[in-house]
Amino acid sequence: MNWRTGVAQALREPLLHFALIGLALFGLYSLRAPVDQDSRIITITAPQVAAMAAEWSTGWNRAPTPVEIDGLIRDYVKDEVYTREAKRLGLDRDDLVVRRRMRSRMEFLATAAAEDRTPTTAELQSWLASHAADYAQGAAQSFDQVYLGGSQADAAAIAAKLAAGADPASLGVHTSLPTHVEKADDLAIEDSFGTGFAPAIAALPLNHWSPPIESGLGWHLVRVSSRIPAHAPALVSVRRAVDNDWRAAYRRTAETQAYQALLDGYTIRIQKPE
Amino acid sequence: MTAKYTALPLLALVLALAGCGQKSAKDEAKAEAEVTAKAEAESPYPLKPLWGDTHLHTANSSDAFAFGARIGPEEALRFARGEAVTSSTGIKAQLERPLDFLVVSDHSDGLGALKAIYDAPRLLLRDPTLRRWHDMMHEGPEGTQKAAGELITGFSEKTLPKDMMDPKKSEERTASIWHDQNKIVERYNEPGKFTAMFGFEYTLMPNGNNLHRIVIMRDGKEQADQVTPFSSLVGTTVDQLWDYMDAYEKTTGGQILAIPHNSNLSNGLMFQMTETDGKPMTAAYAARRAAHEPVVEITQIKGDSETHPFLSPNDEFAGFGKAGWVLGNLSMTALTTNDMLVGNYVREALKRGLEIEAKTGVNPYKFGLIGSTDSHTALSTADENNFFGKHSGVEPSAIRAMHPQSLGRDGRVGWQYMAGGYAAVWAKANTRAAIFDALKRREVYGSTGPRMTVRLFGGWDFTPDDLKSDWVKAGYTRGVPMGGDLKAASKPGAPSFIVSALKDPIGANLDRAQIVKGWIDAAGKTHEQIYDIAWSTPATRQPLANGKLPPVGDTVDLKTATYTNSIGAPELQTVWTDPAFDPKQKAFYYVRVIEIPTPRWVDYDVVRYKAKVGPEVELKAQERAYSAPIWYDPKA
Repeated sequence: MNWRTGVAQALREPLLHFALIGLALFGLYSLRAPVDQDSRIITITAPQVAAMAAEWSTGWNRAPTPVEIDGLIRDYVKDEVYTREAKRLGLDRDDLVVRRRMRSRMEFLATAAAEDRTPTTAELQSWLASHAADYAQGAAQSFDQVYLGGSQADAAAIAAKLAAGADPASLGVHTSLPTHVEKADDLAIEDSFGTGFAPAIAALPLNHWSPPIESGLGWHLVRVSSRIPAHAPALVSVRRAVDNDWRAAYRRTAETQAYQALLDGYTIRIQKPE
Repeated sequence: MTAKYTALPLLALVLALAGCGQKSAKDEAKAEAEVTAKAEAESPYPLKPLWGDTHLHTANSSDAFAFGARIGPEEALRFARGEAVTSSTGIKAQLERPLDFLVVSDHSDGLGALKAIYDAPRLLLRDPTLRRWHDMMHEGPEGTQKAAGELITGFSEKTLPKDMMDPKKSEERTASIWHDQNKIVERYNEPGKFTAMFGFEYTLMPNGNNLHRIVIMRDGKEQADQVTPFSSLVGTTVDQLWDYMDAYEKTTGGQILAIPHNSNLSNGLMFQMTETDGKPMTAAYAARRAAHEPVVEITQIKGDSETHPFLSPNDEFAGFGKAGWVLGNLSMTALTTNDMLVGNYVREALKRGLEIEAKTGVNPYKFGLIGSTDSHTALSTADENNFFGKHSGVEPSAIRAMHPQSLGRDGRVGWQYMAGGYAAVWAKANTRAAIFDALKRREVYGSTGPRMTVRLFGGWDFTPDDLKSDWVKAGYTRGVPMGGDLKAASKPGAPSFIVSALKDPIGANLDRAQIVKGWIDAAGKTHEQIYDIAWSTPATRQPLANGKLPPVGDTVDLKTATYTNSIGAPELQTVWTDPAFDPKQKAFYYVRVIEIPTPRWVDYDVVRYKAKVGPEVELKAQERAYSAPIWYDPKA
């Protein structure tokens, strides 16, 4: 990779944007004059007036008249006066609405940048390696089964026919269950046969018809013909799932970290009622 | 220390990360294409039903948000594919078994609007109503529910704030949320494992009468992104929805279909004999409806729409899912009267379809049947023992069963909600295309929750001997599956049907399998007849003098919310021949499979949370499945 493509790619990298935004914000904050929270001077700047007028226009499809602009400014000043006075009285601390609102804004700020982050293949590989158990392709089994229905009454007769070499597809009760099941993992087997059936047939010796085995549907004679052990899949066959899980975790971590960073600045003292 | 120096190592890290994963991109793409091709490969005929929910709302639906839903499409998809998520009210939620597919179908009207009001800086909300809702929602659950009630009424009475009703603004807002949501849906679509489809709900509701449709696309993000979900603020008749659908297919080259639901709350308007404007139905209109709406949702949280005791007085199972829902339309702004019922229920619609076909030559109501949840919690929970409620205001609690319903006002109470339903689809692969194609050819059935396997084939030469070997293959080669057309026989004789029902492998036994037949006589009059065709313990349980099969019994223990499978049968199957067949009469046949009685979700609440409920509350029910019909047409 030459340096041009490297830089081009880096410029598309959200982490870089994040870093640059951070840099810009830092600069802005360091240049800004300190604000006196208790100040009783309210300054309305020209850009603020322009923004009010623009917002008003979207609702009415025309520009506000000078009288209407004065009205907007008066309303803004009233908001500002009441907001400052309310803060002086500590109302922002007691009001559940205000508190919820501020919390939701803060949570949004913490996760917004994480939303569009695309993981690299290396990151996904490493995620797959460290969460191998979540993606392990379960042991698969291939087997034939003869369904006896809700009772075992015919088991012996059918077992005798099977021992004599009869075609399993011609015996038992023919439901929509397949006689032959090919390379099914535990989830697929239990999807069709109910809880506990997969481990029950996993214990059977290969290539022998079993005694009656109970499923969620009734009783079966089963002959397991092959087993594939559980294995770790290649990234390519589980990429979608890994990608989604990585993203979900990334977002969770971003929020947790943002909160933790703030929380670290606090000392929490809790007194529970006796 | 200045910020410049702290940023440098970060910059280096970014450059390093950005450089990775380039060299084998081509190989990777090739390997991925191979995996996808394998997952998308279709079997010659459907081998097992895929289970899913075509009707689910998340925080992006304004009413869901107002009721407290705070989790969105991503959590909905993770939950449906079997993962544990935290519900909006903070409860850990997980399905006992994953679903195979999901359509996140948020309301197109005001998609994300309430969330936008909630998230908006308060000072920017100029409209006093929007401001009030904003404040109410931030106050907590009670305020949120009140805002939702006002929203639903305001919507059906067209008295919402100007800003919300403005189609242009609404479309801009909708497009932005739709595109965000599509990114998530696309990411969670895993062919062969779990299918995430694009769709939305078109919430048409003249005067509070429910004419809602779920709209589903066959295609990928590229096509879905080219449109925005069609709003009932723009299109105030279903004909305009069909225009939108035609335009979608023309613009994108894709395919799209619509699924009506809650006909039971339409006050007679869902299945009319006439066109929308009241004129007699023409062949062209009938064909248009049939082409756009091949499937109907027959059962869901807001009641069951199969039939009504008034319409089917001889059907002892017709009262299912009626309590509360029969009182009035969706908003309860108009009561339901008996003369409206014919247009409210699916069985009657299937009969009306034959009637309209006799007049015009085309059957507008030739549809398959599915169930779905219509949950407004982002959680597709149709299991009685794991029901997360109609919306987030009624997630599990000790009081939800006796809580007045949001759709109540007069007499609707929490316990009347059903624990949803699911759609079973006989698809040839677990992909968007295969699931859509199965819906289109109506090879689907609906369940009120349990995952029983139901097969139905119709043909002219099936015999009981077929059940001794591979009858599924025989069904497909010598007959037609559910949803199909049975053409006239080449020789005299009645049609025979292979019917097979297998219980949910982790659920209750089956009571009986029935055929529901509807037909039209020479005078143009329609009829219906229910046949019990297979049932448990036939040796000791035979029809009584009145022709009725005795009830299966009841093992439910309400004190523990349990039942036992000591009654009923795990499987029921038979080859049934129509004993009253008239080759000149058009007819339809569908299967209804009934489970033994089991506890309803309300009883689980009583046991788990010591919920106090009144004597009128239904604590158990016989759950069921409805197959799509097979139609017989002598002229076909």
